[in-house]
Amino acid sequence: MSSRSSSSRSSSSRSSSRLGRSIALHLFLTPLALIWLFPLWMMVIFSTMPDRGIFSPSIELLPHGSFLDNVNNLQRDTNFIGAIGISVSVAVTYTFLSVLLTSMAGWALARYQFFGKGVVVAIILGTITLPYAVVLIPQFIMVARDFKLANTWVALIVPPLFNSLGVLFMRQSFSMMPGDLFDAARVEGVKEWRIFLFVALPLARPMLAALAIILFLASWNNYLWPLLINSKPGAMTAPVALGTLIGLTKVSWGGIMAGAVMLTVPMLVVFVLLQRHFVAGIAAGAIK
Amino acid sequence: MRYQNATAYRFLAPYLLIFSIFWLWPIISSFLISFQATRTVPWRFAPTFNWGRLIGDPAFFNALKNTLLILVIQVPVMITLAIVMAVLLNSPLLKARGLFRFAFFAPVVVGEVAYSAVFRLMFNLDYGIINKLLNSVGLPRIDWFSNVTPAMAVIMIAVTWRWAGYNAIILLAGLQSIPQDVYEAATLDRVSKLKQFFYITLPLLKPIIVFCAVLSIIGTMQLFTEPFLITERGGPGGGTETLGLLLYRQGFRSLNFGYASAIAYTMAGLAIAISLVQLWLTREPK
Amino acid sequence: MAAVTLKNVVKRFGVFEIVHGADIDVEDGEFVVFVGPSGCGKSTLLRMIAGLEDISGGEIAIGGKVVNDVEPADRGIAMVFQSYALYPHMSVEQNLSFGLRMNGNPKADTERRVKRAAEILRIAELMKRRPRQLSGGQRQRVAIGRAIVREPQVFLFDEPLSNLDAELRVQMRVEISRLHKELGVTMIYVTHDQTEAMTLADRIVVLNAGNIEQIGAPLDLYDDPANRFVAGFVGSPKMNFLAAQVVGNDGSATVVELANHGGARLRKSLSGAPPAVGAEVVLGVRPEHFFEAGEGDCDIAVKADVAEHLGSVSYIYANAGPEELIIEREASRQRATGDHMVVSIKAGRSLLFDKSGARIR
Repeated sequence: MSSRSSSSRSSSSRSSSRLGRSIALHLFLTPLALIWLFPLWMMVIFSTMPDRGIFSPSIELLPHGSFLDNVNNLQRDTNFIGAIGISVSVAVTYTFLSVLLTSMAGWALARYQFFGKGVVVAIILGTITLPYAVVLIPQFIMVARDFKLANTWVALIVPPLFNSLGVLFMRQSFSMMPGDLFDAARVEGVKEWRIFLFVALPLARPMLAALAIILFLASWNNYLWPLLINSKPGAMTAPVALGTLIGLTKVSWGGIMAGAVMLTVPMLVVFVLLQRHFVAGIAAGAIK
Repeated sequence: MRYQNATAYRFLAPYLLIFSIFWLWPIISSFLISFQATRTVPWRFAPTFNWGRLIGDPAFFNALKNTLLILVIQVPVMITLAIVMAVLLNSPLLKARGLFRFAFFAPVVVGEVAYSAVFRLMFNLDYGIINKLLNSVGLPRIDWFSNVTPAMAVIMIAVTWRWAGYNAIILLAGLQSIPQDVYEAATLDRVSKLKQFFYITLPLLKPIIVFCAVLSIIGTMQLFTEPFLITERGGPGGGTETLGLLLYRQGFRSLNFGYASAIAYTMAGLAIAISLVQLWLTREPK
Repeated sequence: MAAVTLKNVVKRFGVFEIVHGADIDVEDGEFVVFVGPSGCGKSTLLRMIAGLEDISGGEIAIGGKVVNDVEPADRGIAMVFQSYALYPHMSVEQNLSFGLRMNGNPKADTERRVKRAAEILRIAELMKRRPRQLSGGQRQRVAIGRAIVREPQVFLFDEPLSNLDAELRVQMRVEISRLHKELGVTMIYVTHDQTEAMTLADRIVVLNAGNIEQIGAPLDLYDDPANRFVAGFVGSPKMNFLAAQVVGNDGSATVVELANHGGARLRKSLSGAPPAVGAEVVLGVRPEHFFEAGEGDCDIAVKADVAEHLGSVSYIYANAGPEELIIEREASRQRATGDHMVVSIKAGRSLLFDKSGARIR
């Protein structure tokens, strides 16, 4: 009897301390989350406000109805729709090629024993911590002056194809698969490239999805390289086109915000829909 | 396993080709260019031309100082914040986990240009929402972009907002890879939650924390877009100019490739030093 | 159909040699089992025959043709893997036909072969399912079916039953035996389980640490092991090894004294040269070869620690000084912990080994 009552008392004090901790957790995290969402919220609000509303003394925290006007303003300042077209095409092409290249390389590193393997792995690991600045200038000189490829899609797509985290991610993915699977195909006389295409790649589908999302995002948001190499008005990507407006005096800020929303919201939607893949792709960089 | 040189290199060929042209050669070439005077035609070999200038250039030391200042303040704050986010997001007590994850992880998908524009507008002197909010609670407005200290603060806030969630994702994955039974054993040993965090979670998470720190340091070291767009080309008066921005100005505005390459290799030197520190910090105990 | 010949086959990984010159002749249509503890090199040997591992030295021939540099697919072999290695994203039918389809085999012939394999293994009703929807036994059948479809000259099995539970294992063992009779082709089978080896094999190759210890028919290995390792490995429970010393030789027999059994002596006739007087030797006695007191040539007293009653037989774990013995007894259900008992050893039912483990015959 007495043991029963004491145990029920201790369990009720346990659940009340759990409740206390839960409340403290939410009291801390909720304001932090609101602060974190604030810039995104303001981006959306600004994009729906006329310029004279943005530059008025009142505090505006709710959406207005001028989004389409702002899109028009933006389009008047720069051909943003055209730039979005370039960005989409470049990002899609880049993602396809980069997924193919990195998964081929990752497959070779995961599944074959070959001369020079250690060197290749060391190079890839080494470039992770190498600042991009080191290759930027010669890359620019080569692409712009030697290959005369400035303001072309090739310039936007090809140099960024080298990507070390992606290769390591795919190497990891392929080496986690049971090797018997590929040996079974080998014993059956299936050619190596067919094993890669018809056995390995289908099995790696979730990892390929994660990789593709990360690569697409990287290309979509890439700023410095496109800014340097494709600076001609008709060849600019959307972030570059938008960047040229920031800091100009006679420019529609509502338009700039509308552009920011057009760059960001599609990615947010993709993020919400494919959060699992996103998180897997980013986390894989560190967890070996 | 069998040796399959031909097959392996056939799969690697396209990747290695891109690497050789766009990375291997530039790494070498950039090193060579840093020893050349590049504003004469043709370029001529002058080993001390750029490096000598670097040592005596106040603009370089200003950029180096600003970069290191941002590094020293922003990276620790952000990593701490990311650890807090990851640990709290991992709490079994948390409700509406999906919403919180969205709030902290969403900045990961936001492009530099888009968020630079928003931050610039939010911190505007007369019409920025931040100053309006400060005013409404009786605090004075701050002229964010005319003074160096607040301008630096805006840069650090922006970078932290953009990247804390990214690091939290990596750290959260690390947390989830710690087996639950370790905590159960500690609970049975009457170890408090707080002590569990300091004596179990942090030590087990250390390699990942170091990894995040190194990636963040190398990223922040190359900081370019934020001072370029938010504080208007490193303003006020070079007060937020970073090494990345100086390299851009020298290389692509003044077309002084030799000097820009010397700056790039200074950054590489810093990165190598930091990587060595990482190796040392995460070495296996003998 | 084909014979498989290994001549002085060596495998090295870097500086580590893990197979030290293996000579094995597998006859056409024979069922040979490679058995040994984990790490003995048996799987490596099988993978070298399959062509999945390079051969560091020596020669492997299949059907009289040296295949050292022949691609796995061109060796006329098929392999069944421990993990089954079924393609998870393909149906059973696609799994069976994948290799043939990839190599442009005529469609009608592929269909015929798949149908035949499905009939042999009775998996026709599973053809549309994915591997994940199959039980362990069914997956195993599909894996074997994929080998049958290739119509190989030699079947290679790499521990195919080790992922199955005990009951299924017995069932699949019978199945594989039946398959061998039906197809009549050469089969090489790797396992660490000596029961599988004994029940399946025409001949067994016992491997230990990269060396072949003995090759022979199952009962020959049981009756006449070449050394202490084989004697200990073949037979279940394990053979007991009793420390002994040679105390005298007369004619073609030697007399040994058991060190831990109060000076008990056994006289054992030998065909070869007897060991020197004073030499330390080991007497091997199988659990099933202990007899009732007085029935054998030498009685020893032991104390029972634990008795395991399996029904048909009982195993008594007994000791005498530092020596642990396992004794098999029929119908001794009363025997309990702490009992003293006397058992008897027959000279003809024991084996003698020298200190290095070699058999003294």
